[in-house]
Amino acid sequence: MREPSDRDLVQRARRGDREAAAALFRRYWRDAWRAAFAITGRRSLADDVAADGFERAFAALGRFDERRPFGPWLHRIVANRALDLLRAERRLSDEELPDTPDLAPVHGAGDRGLLAAVSELSLERRMVVVLRYGVGMTPKQISDTLDLPVGTVNSRLARGLEQLRESLEVEHVE
Amino acid sequence: MSSELEQRLEGLLAEAPEPDPGAEEEALHRALRALHPGAPARRGLRTAVLVFAAAAVLLGIAAGSLAAAGALHVSFGHKAKPRPATTQLVLPKGANGVAAIIDGRLSVVTTGGFRLQGLPVTSAALSPHALFVAAGIGQSLVALKPSGRQAWSHPARGTVIAIAWAPFGNRIAYIVRIGHRFALHVIWGDGTHDTPIDRRVRAVRPSWRADSLAFAYVGAGGKAIVYDVGHRNRSILAVRAPVTGVAFAPTGDSVAVEQLDGVWVLHQSSAAKIQGHVDAFGWLSGRLADVVPGQGFVLVRLYASSGASRGSFRAQGNAVTVTPKIVVLRRGRNLVAGRTTLLTIPRRSTVQMLEIG
Repeated sequence: MREPSDRDLVQRARRGDREAAAALFRRYWRDAWRAAFAITGRRSLADDVAADGFERAFAALGRFDERRPFGPWLHRIVANRALDLLRAERRLSDEELPDTPDLAPVHGAGDRGLLAAVSELSLERRMVVVLRYGVGMTPKQISDTLDLPVGTVNSRLARGLEQLRESLEVEHVE
Repeated sequence: MSSELEQRLEGLLAEAPEPDPGAEEEALHRALRALHPGAPARRGLRTAVLVFAAAAVLLGIAAGSLAAAGALHVSFGHKAKPRPATTQLVLPKGANGVAAIIDGRLSVVTTGGFRLQGLPVTSAALSPHALFVAAGIGQSLVALKPSGRQAWSHPARGTVIAIAWAPFGNRIAYIVRIGHRFALHVIWGDGTHDTPIDRRVRAVRPSWRADSLAFAYVGAGGKAIVYDVGHRNRSILAVRAPVTGVAFAPTGDSVAVEQLDGVWVLHQSSAAKIQGHVDAFGWLSGRLADVVPGQGFVLVRLYASSGASRGSFRAQGNAVTVTPKIVVLRRGRNLVAGRTTLLTIPRRSTVQMLEIG
């Protein structure tokens, strides 16, 4: 039997069908959580960000334009939530708190992995790299999500890629 | 053409670990609770929004024209620059930590070496022994460990305006502003199990009983209420409304209840009222203390749980707060606790909170 489309599930969830809402949740939870993890670098924050993203998305489902795809809309909410949290935390880390991504348990010694290299990018670059390549947003969608000019998104992407290349090359040489 | 790196990046999320199944179930539960069954936005509403937007654009153009003519100053999304920092907060002798909110900015210092200065917050509280600090940041309740590694954040869905840690550190009572009302919640000390307690309360900081099993707060009608977290029931204290402050004693179950014209001290079946407006009140070295203004000084008066006087002393300055070990006063630009100057602040600054843990 063919799986219901996102649009079907959204329409049913809007009418209060909890099973449809749960199906929609399960379809996107893993990707949303992993995107949140790639942005925040910490499991606990990814839990909060992804859960909060879904909560906000479901609360706003009545306002969702169902002609648009659900996934990018959800990721946009998750990305914004991650950004809010990290900005709040960065204000703290500017003061005293160290940024402590818990990527180490994921990648063994000698295999830092791409994700670990991404986690070393600045928040601004990391965000656009994750949204562009991890989530698959276009630069225009990222510019809408982050409220940035497309040119800024493209330059951050280019600089992020350059930094990643350098970082991975150094790792390779080592 | 995409590079090899870009191709690798497209598989970026596959490198991320799997989410915890427990987190998934909790998130699903929260998401389903947020579901509001109802029809999608109607055309009529959309039209109204469009009309409103068009009106806003026209207003914007008009304002822009005036601005160009120099007749009107227009500023969109202007962010005020951070104020110059006050002096660094000093830890008083014998204390585990001190936290202060001055003009909406939090400063904290603890014996563990944790130091924070100037963080914009809406409220804050030190945990017992100053092991954590909880703060309202944006629309979240955030707890920070001195190392910063075990921080948690809980979406409060509003501005957190008051926070109170239970003496055992196992729970936090907090008040969140949602629209025009204030709601009271309790959350575990690890940031889980958030529970709404009262949907409408007054914006008065709750106060925990020494056994951490109950706390006092002020209900929407201005009554002082004690909520028992073990039995999940509440009892209204026999003090007429409106109540403006509550403070349980650090030991036993005596509670002080502030009104506009005095402070009641309730102890088991007895109740005594200390008449007169006070600048500050609290429990100092196990005794109820209030601070009343004098001529060029303040008078700190001490009382037993029965309400009987236990003496008084004079101090220079204006009352800021009564902490369990010391009274904090403002002398000119200085906030002082005994002989220690905790902080020097700009003259017109507002001290919203000062805690010594």
